[in-house]
Amino acid sequence: MKFIILAYKNLKRRKSRSFLTISGVAVAVAVLVALLGFNAGYQEALTSDVDKMGYQVIVTAKGCPYEAATMMLAGEAVFRFIDEDIYVQITSDPDIDQITPFLAQLAYDPEKMDGKGGFINYLGIERSYLELKPDVIFKSGDWFSDENIHEAILGYEAAESMQKSVGDKMVIPGKDITLTIVGVFGRTATQEDGTVFLPLKTLQRIFEAEGKLTGIGIKLNKLENLHEFEERLYPIASIQVISMSQVKGTILDLVNSAKILIISVAFIAIFVAIIGVINTILMSVMERTREIGIMKAIGASRLDIFQIIWMETLIVCTLGGFFGAIIAIFGGNLIELLVRKVMPYAPGGRLLLITPDLLLISFLGVIVVGIVSGLYPALKAASMRPIEVIRSGE
Amino acid sequence: MEKFAVKTNKLKKVYSAEFQTTIALKEIDLEIEEGEFVSIMGPSGAGKTTLLNILGFLDKPSSGDLNIIGHNPIEFNEEELSRIRGEKVGFVFEDFFLIPSLNALENVQLPLIFAKNDKGNEKPKILLKRVGLGHRLTHYPNELSGGELQRVAVARALANNPKILLADEPTGNLDTRNARELFMLFRNLNREEGLTIVVATHNVKLGYSADRVIHLNDGKMEKDERLVKQNAK
Repeated sequence: MKFIILAYKNLKRRKSRSFLTISGVAVAVAVLVALLGFNAGYQEALTSDVDKMGYQVIVTAKGCPYEAATMMLAGEAVFRFIDEDIYVQITSDPDIDQITPFLAQLAYDPEKMDGKGGFINYLGIERSYLELKPDVIFKSGDWFSDENIHEAILGYEAAESMQKSVGDKMVIPGKDITLTIVGVFGRTATQEDGTVFLPLKTLQRIFEAEGKLTGIGIKLNKLENLHEFEERLYPIASIQVISMSQVKGTILDLVNSAKILIISVAFIAIFVAIIGVINTILMSVMERTREIGIMKAIGASRLDIFQIIWMETLIVCTLGGFFGAIIAIFGGNLIELLVRKVMPYAPGGRLLLITPDLLLISFLGVIVVGIVSGLYPALKAASMRPIEVIRSGE
Repeated sequence: MEKFAVKTNKLKKVYSAEFQTTIALKEIDLEIEEGEFVSIMGPSGAGKTTLLNILGFLDKPSSGDLNIIGHNPIEFNEEELSRIRGEKVGFVFEDFFLIPSLNALENVQLPLIFAKNDKGNEKPKILLKRVGLGHRLTHYPNELSGGELQRVAVARALANNPKILLADEPTGNLDTRNARELFMLFRNLNREEGLTIVVATHNVKLGYSADRVIHLNDGKMEKDERLVKQNAK
């Protein structure tokens, strides 16, 4: 029998109190792991989303550039248009490596989401779209047979939710038009997985937006020339140039400021848990002054008593850390669901990135915290003098 | 020549509180030989517990010379006294003072754990059998009767082969039968193993079953009766 068993047996004596204290530590650890994991996951998901977009620069109608950028990242339609002329006008700019025009539209489909209804995103594209997005490859089928034809290519998830494949027909709700599905894209893990792609000209005609574009995606020869490129487009009053790296930087800045807040919250939770632990152990020391006195009377050294009490703190914190990590792993999915509901734009992929490293660091962190918070009660117990303790009990 | 387990010279203990000074022991001269079974009797407040605590290295005298099994407690710090207690002294208290979260066997193992001598040590089991509790090893204190609890406490006190066993009012919480059995156990331990035993007690009948009765009153030794002839069989 070692001190650890002695400590464990004592914790078992007050089951509900020990349980509550351990729960407090577990919740604090779960909050810490989930919040830090969410932060890391969000950052990674956003970076991957922006990188997969393929465009470095988007030209759109004037307005809030961040609104436009996030809507486009979210695969939603922007209801401000630019003229197709502008595309023709800038396409010969010497700094442009690749360029593609696109038109985004939304249509309400009452049958989406098992009859609950929802919007479907339509994107009108040209062949240059594929050149700008090396990640987009055909899972099955091929490109449209003509540039103004009633054909559609489905994003991976769109095909799954509609349960359609190459050769099937589909209709755009509210428009009396039947499209033949000629291709399905593979999974890209971006919002475009849920999109229905049409030839640009077809989409313009169906939605009566002839000559209109939502934006132009551009890849420059050299990103360093972005500034000069923007300068040249500056005279065109109706458009703005959005650099995706700037957008990414701004969103990440926001996320980073949120991170400070998040970490403060987690540390407050941990602080509260520590106070709970100290309180519990201190109380149990006070209740046992006599026992501790007896142990000293029968030969326990200060170090022995210190170790027994300290071990109790460690057991509480270790168990709390362990259960906290488990809660974080399983509860994380719940948080992710909540975040996706509340946030206007959430990147694709996993938002919550709980890595073994993060778990290990949090777990070790809470043990260090346990070591520290156990010091005071353990020292207090160790410094009791047996004679006073035994006498005070009489 | 007899060896002394305890030798005191003008031993004095004074407790000073803020408004009051209590002289608990007044110049006690006492010699207890190794292997003696001594009972200390006297009314409450006579200084019995103070004397036992000093003899057990739990408390230090205010003045006077003191030698207990070769050590003078004044020469040691708290930590060293703790070790000496663990190795050489066995305590039995009126209220048993067992650890409630540990079973009988674990309670007896405890002094060995503190002495780092518990690995594979069968002594606790042997001792519990010796005090008649071989069938109660895994019982917890709340499952044992008063007489059984005190016998566990005696086994615990003996775990480290102490040189001296100190019992402070050990029968105070026991009925007559259990009290008598406890004293018979002391008698046997003293006779068979030569253990020096000092018992403080109110119980006149049991007190007189020892080899020697020391009467304390108001911090002074009033009478020192040697009864060896009557009790030796």
